[in-house]
Amino acid sequence: MILSTTRNPWYVGLVLAAIAVVRAAIQRLDLSTSPLPFSILRFGLFVVTFSAIFNALSVHFGRTVLFVIPPAIPYLGGPVTLEALVYGTLNGLVLTGLFAAFTVFNQAVTIRQLIRLVPQAFFPVAIMVSIAITFVPVTLRHARDIREAQAVRGHRLRGLRDWLPLVMPLLVGGLERALQLAEAMTARGFASTDEAGHDALTRLTILLGLTLLIGGWLLRLVWGYAVGGLLLLLAGIGLIMGILWRVGRRVSRTNYRPQPWTGADWAIVAGAVGAAAGFVVPWPGLDRSSIFFYPYPQLSWPAFQPLLGLVIAGLLVPALLALRLPVKNKRGVKRPSPTAQRGEPQIPPAGGLGGP
Amino acid sequence: MIRFEYVSFTYPNADRPALDNISLHLLDGEFALVVGPSGSGKSTLLRCVNGLTPHFSGGVISGGVTVNGLDPIEASPKVMSRHVGFVFQTPEAQFVMDRVEDELAFALENAAMPPQEMRIRVEEVLDLLDLAPLRHRQLDTLSGGERQRVAIAAALAFRPQILVLDEPTSQLDPKSAEDVLQALVRLNTDLGLTILLAEHRLERVLPFVDQIIYLPATGSDLVQGSSAQVLPQIDLTPPLVQVAQKLDWSPLPLTLKEGRRHSLRWLDGRTIAPKSHSESPPAGRPYIRSEGVQVAFKGQTVVQGVDLQVWPGEIVALMGRNGAGKTTLLKTLVGLMRPKQGQIVVDDQNVTGRDVADIGRKVGYLPQNPGALLFADTVREELAVTLRNHGLPPQHAPVDPETLLAELGLAGKADDYPRDLSVGEQQRVALAAIMVTCPGALLLDEPTRGLDYRAKQQLIDLLQRRQRAGAAIVLATHDVELAAIAANRVVLMSQGEVIANGSPAEVLGASPLFAPQVARLFPGTGWLTVDDVCESIC
Repeated sequence: MILSTTRNPWYVGLVLAAIAVVRAAIQRLDLSTSPLPFSILRFGLFVVTFSAIFNALSVHFGRTVLFVIPPAIPYLGGPVTLEALVYGTLNGLVLTGLFAAFTVFNQAVTIRQLIRLVPQAFFPVAIMVSIAITFVPVTLRHARDIREAQAVRGHRLRGLRDWLPLVMPLLVGGLERALQLAEAMTARGFASTDEAGHDALTRLTILLGLTLLIGGWLLRLVWGYAVGGLLLLLAGIGLIMGILWRVGRRVSRTNYRPQPWTGADWAIVAGAVGAAAGFVVPWPGLDRSSIFFYPYPQLSWPAFQPLLGLVIAGLLVPALLALRLPVKNKRGVKRPSPTAQRGEPQIPPAGGLGGP
Repeated sequence: MIRFEYVSFTYPNADRPALDNISLHLLDGEFALVVGPSGSGKSTLLRCVNGLTPHFSGGVISGGVTVNGLDPIEASPKVMSRHVGFVFQTPEAQFVMDRVEDELAFALENAAMPPQEMRIRVEEVLDLLDLAPLRHRQLDTLSGGERQRVAIAAALAFRPQILVLDEPTSQLDPKSAEDVLQALVRLNTDLGLTILLAEHRLERVLPFVDQIIYLPATGSDLVQGSSAQVLPQIDLTPPLVQVAQKLDWSPLPLTLKEGRRHSLRWLDGRTIAPKSHSESPPAGRPYIRSEGVQVAFKGQTVVQGVDLQVWPGEIVALMGRNGAGKTTLLKTLVGLMRPKQGQIVVDDQNVTGRDVADIGRKVGYLPQNPGALLFADTVREELAVTLRNHGLPPQHAPVDPETLLAELGLAGKADDYPRDLSVGEQQRVALAAIMVTCPGALLLDEPTRGLDYRAKQQLIDLLQRRQRAGAAIVLATHDVELAAIAANRVVLMSQGEVIANGSPAEVLGASPLFAPQVARLFPGTGWLTVDDVCESIC
């Protein structure tokens, strides 16, 4: 969130540094389950270079002219300015930061853990997502088998209709597996139909809540009734939360190895929310002008507001917490969710997300 | 524990019943084996026990079923899931989660079991199936046998008194299959679990089985009784039982140990000239020749320096444990994988690096899962597609498709939807689809997986006919009995290298690991198959 509001190099740099520290702290714990296909650093370098060059070549705006491309060349012709180069670089850095934050978040929290955080009322949906994720590798393997089998029969991809021999067995095979899975789940006592119902009242309440939400948002933004809109928004959120809680209580389901929401989790959320709030909410008395750094038309030295810099430190909470945990054996057995296993605080669910 | 009384069941839109007036009875703690040719209703019978039939399948059922004092037709599968654990054929197709522990807890979570109780149950089943070291592993990193054990553990999480398994080993290699069957035997003997198992691999379970339930194809009645009572009545038996029946051994031996007691007495006083398997060395040029082939997959060398020759008119069995490089070698021969070094010569032409479609006309390759091949609406259309792929108009086809279908025993099925056929028939349709261009060589990867004795025999007959017609055939297989019956030559691979290459008697007969049952019964005679025994004494 911070990254999307500012282009001030100070703040962008600080957030990137915070992400790097958190990542290092997490890796020390050996939480990484899936090694990245390519490193964040390499991705960042590529994005920054590309973004800088692209911006410099396409935006011919700004006063500090570095050199001039002959105007005869279409699209590229014109002055290349330092301002455009700097702005492109900053944009690249912001993109890198977003990517890095998501990667770190992914390393710390597995998809299953995310699913467990889904409200009980939406449990069938969570199960569906889980099955879909499990289906992906199987389907990929199946697709490879089919491609090979058809190739041996002299199959070549020449036109649209040549896709049929590849797609048909994949689809039919997928359906067969889906049916088998449905049967297996039935045999294990899973019946989605008798879940404590999403009855008419529930549906109406959710609809009403959504209407209030959208109405409040429109009021605030389009018609400018700040207070009235806010009240409607809050009422909508309240209604939806309430009904989710009610339905959730009716669904009888327990969690294997439930993960208690601990003080550490609160600290992480507080740090992240604090950092985001510092940048988004117009606090009285806080000079926020430094957030809106804009290099055009004349590059200037960016201003730095120490208070905002301090707020970013809130993102470091997960790193501090991680440092307190004992270091695990680096070459230990692969454990997709060590937090669950040790029953210790979940590392940074909010830290990673709150950052961007 | 389980009682069926005059049960008949007809699937929706079917013209004849899948189960016809079936009665059977199973006591608490019994281990019962359900056998019968494919299509005889084994799966349907098993699904009646936990109510999947008719609750999941639909259809009309009559008669009475009592399981653990309950009526599964009245109670839903949900209720029955507490009393009956059910395990299916393919392990992958029954998993909801991606981690061993999560998968085991899935059903318990749904039943809202308190977390402490759940922990105990999960630990329990982890120990029962020896899965504790694998508890945090991703399911797709496990071997087939390990996955099937996870499926069994998941089925036992509710502590059911009955475990029902529908051909749980048909997709596994022999080693994994044995792991799974041993786990079942332990569950039955140590825990007193009642087990109902449909299974093709009789030889592994026969010693532990209390009852055999034989479902004949159609028409005749179900046979139920002890192994000794039922085995003589059925025609699908392991070599040990066949030999024993031929030689009138009584009581019928069920284990090799019992069999050897008979065979030693029988051999005593007889002089048997060891059968020599001297075959004239193949003449002429080999149809397929690989020279120093080395293949890497994901940066690892999987096949190294393999020189293999296959002559027209011979069947070569390629054997070795999982990951020995058998499948990779076959794929390389047909051009699906490129060798890093070495070359491949087919029919006197160097085909190294050529397009798969080109090589495919000369070398037919049947993958492990024939279902990956089949997509057309009719069996006949499958053959036409291959011809079209190769740009051959039907009138110029190397063989008449109808003749080929007749040869493969598919004449009556030409207009059927291929994926509705039985496993054995699907395999033959896939074979027809690759044989319609008349390739001089056939490569088959694990062709007997999932086949019952009858389908296996049909496959062997078919391969031997092609062999006599001059085809060069390579079978990558774990199936020792198949290699003993069908192969002229056995090539043993390990870690990507050929470690033995010779006649079945040389390579298999002497091996403690790969010897077929007959060789183990009559050591030193050079006999490998039931036919060898018959030839010498008849």
